[in-house]
Amino acid sequence: MSFLRAALAIAAKDLRIEGKTLRTAASTGLFALVVIVVFAFAFDLDTVRRLGAPRVVPGILWVTLAFSAIVAFSRSFEIERQRDALTALALAPVDRGAVFAGKCLSNLALLFGLEVVLVPLTLVFFDAADDVSVPALAGVLALHTLGLAELGTLLGAVASRLARGEALLAVLFLPAATPLLLAAVQCTRGAIEGSMGAAEARWMLVTAGCDVLYFLIALLVFETVLEEG
Amino acid sequence: MSRRFGPLFGASLAATAAAFAYALALIFLAAPEERVMGAVQKIFYVHVPIALSTFVAVFVLLVGALGYLATRQPVWDRLAVATCEVGWLFCTLVLVTGPIWAKPAWGVWWTWEAKITTTLVLWLLLAGILLARGYASTPEQGARIGAVLGVVAALDVPIVYKAVDWWRGQHPIVFGPGRGNPLAPGMGAALAASTVAVLLLFALLVMLRMRLAALEDALVAAEEAASRSS
Repeated sequence: MSFLRAALAIAAKDLRIEGKTLRTAASTGLFALVVIVVFAFAFDLDTVRRLGAPRVVPGILWVTLAFSAIVAFSRSFEIERQRDALTALALAPVDRGAVFAGKCLSNLALLFGLEVVLVPLTLVFFDAADDVSVPALAGVLALHTLGLAELGTLLGAVASRLARGEALLAVLFLPAATPLLLAAVQCTRGAIEGSMGAAEARWMLVTAGCDVLYFLIALLVFETVLEEG
Repeated sequence: MSRRFGPLFGASLAATAAAFAYALALIFLAAPEERVMGAVQKIFYVHVPIALSTFVAVFVLLVGALGYLATRQPVWDRLAVATCEVGWLFCTLVLVTGPIWAKPAWGVWWTWEAKITTTLVLWLLLAGILLARGYASTPEQGARIGAVLGVVAALDVPIVYKAVDWWRGQHPIVFGPGRGNPLAPGMGAALAASTVAVLLLFALLVMLRMRLAALEDALVAAEEAASRSS
């Protein structure tokens, strides 16, 4: 079975389970909504308007996305823990990198689904929708969510191997995601203002580099992560 | 594995102690007092070598983690765990000595500048690795998880630095291309001596921690053998 076909099969399996239960989408989506509402209490609309929405909203958006993504990543391996499905995955005669790529793809699809709802809602809630460049924002979201999904899938797999590891995922994931989150906030500011300049282009390049690097690291180490014992 | 400390350990201990005595003498007796900052500037001779050793630790951690992933020999894992723990300790010291200097020099204890922020993120990454190792159910699992997270952390740190550097700047850049040597003659010697002393201390602590890890492994092996024979 080729790498790509194996990865797609694993991703399709995850999305089929998700389509039948909608449990990850429900818990992740609700959690994201709660975080946004908490942010609305923390910075009321007057404060956001005074500082300028492009200065505040990208941070709110990415903190919310990163927090909700953690919920999705831990769910993603929780379903593999039931009836020890992860052992079966590890025994499958496919490249371990393909297992990673498949899990990463399904996480990515879930996060994109979340963003389709969450991002417009955030822009509306904080009155930041006026100047948005939609294609630029879509590009920024796609590139940075890919990086977060790669890192989160790898670290989610690590955390799922440890007893009570879910508690650990946030501690491992958020510091490691620092460069992605910094770049995401800078680029999102440009997209919300409707002007992507050279600075944003440079940040996008950093993120593209991170995306490639995290994928290579995952290919290198994922076999070790899946090992039993 | 010998139970006693070998001659190498004694020699390193003596060398470290001598280097520290010499460095302290240079720092407080020979190096001139800085014109503007006065005595506060002396912490530079401790802060910079410890920061340097912290980043040496990250590099050695990467070597240990990759070595373990490639060979699965416990010695590489001992190197990784030792540099991770000692690196975390040194990282803590960097974060403590920095503000002591920053308050009188900059007027604030803390700023979100590139080197400081990177050091804090590194501290969090190393703490995460140590925490994750503690959660492992077997030593082998701890070693594998530690190696995987070590690779992620060590490769992430340079990107974190570049990213925060673009985001913010203002750390005093004492050394850099095209800057010449900004230090007064006595200062350079004191810094060099202190760097050697701190690096020796780092190596000594890593050696001790590796020896401890080897003893732990031997103990576990002995217990297993005992439970099998009984």
